[in-house]
Amino acid sequence: MPAPNKRSRTFRRVYRKVPGGKTVLHYKKRKPSKAKCGKCKAILKGVPRERPYKMRTMAKTKKRPERPYGGALCSKCTREVFKEKARSKK
Amino acid sequence: MIEIGRLAIKTAGRDAGCKCVVVEILDNNYVLIDGGTRRRKCNIIHLEPLNEVIKIKKGASHEEVNAEFKKLKLEVRETKPKETKDRPKKVRKEKKKIEEKGDKGKKKAKKEGKKKSEVKKEEKLSDKLTKEGKKNK
Repeated sequence: MPAPNKRSRTFRRVYRKVPGGKTVLHYKKRKPSKAKCGKCKAILKGVPRERPYKMRTMAKTKKRPERPYGGALCSKCTREVFKEKARSKK
Repeated sequence: MIEIGRLAIKTAGRDAGCKCVVVEILDNNYVLIDGGTRRRKCNIIHLEPLNEVIKIKKGASHEEVNAEFKKLKLEVRETKPKETKDRPKKVRKEKKKIEEKGDKGKKKAKKEGKKKSEVKKEEKLSDKLTKEGKKNK
C-alpha cells in the first residue's frame, strides 16, 4: 500500500524502467498549465510545459520563439501590434 | 505600394518591428530588404509599408543603404563576421615522447619491484638464521 499522501491524485504517476530491469512507479508533481497569449489567450507554440527546475536548465532560446514579444504574445497578435504601430506613425 | 526605396516595418520573425527599405523586387511575392533588418529576402505579406520613400538604386549595397538610413537618423543593423578560432592541432612527435616517458617509468618501477622482492627474501633468510641460532642456543 502506498503512503497516504501518494494515494491521492495530486501527484502524477510515471512508469520508469530502472537499471535492474524492473518497471517502477514514480510519483511526480504535475506540470503547470500551458503558456497562453496575453492578448487572445491562445496556447503559445514553442514554449515548453515544464516545472521550473527543468526550465532553469534549458537555454533561453529553447524557452520562447526568438522574436519581439516571443513567449508573451502569439504570432498573430504580434503582427497586429506591429501593423497598428506602423499605421499610427502615418 | 511596394517599390524600390519604400520604407517598411517588418511584422514577422526575428526582425519584427524593425524598419527596412525595399532594395530589389525579386518576383510577385518576394523582395530584397536591408537597413534596420538583416539584408534578406522577404515576403510582401511580412512587410507593412510606410509613407516615406528613399532614393536608392536597384540592388543598392549595404553601405549605400546605411548612409541613407543615417541621414534619416534611423537605426542600422550591422553584423560583424564571426571570428573563427583555429583548433589546436595535435603533434604526433610529442605524443610519442610522452609514451616513451611512460614506458621508462614503468620499467623503473618494475626494476624497483624486483629489488624490493629480493630485499624481502634477504630479510626472511636473515630472520630464519636468527631463529635457528636462538634454537641452537
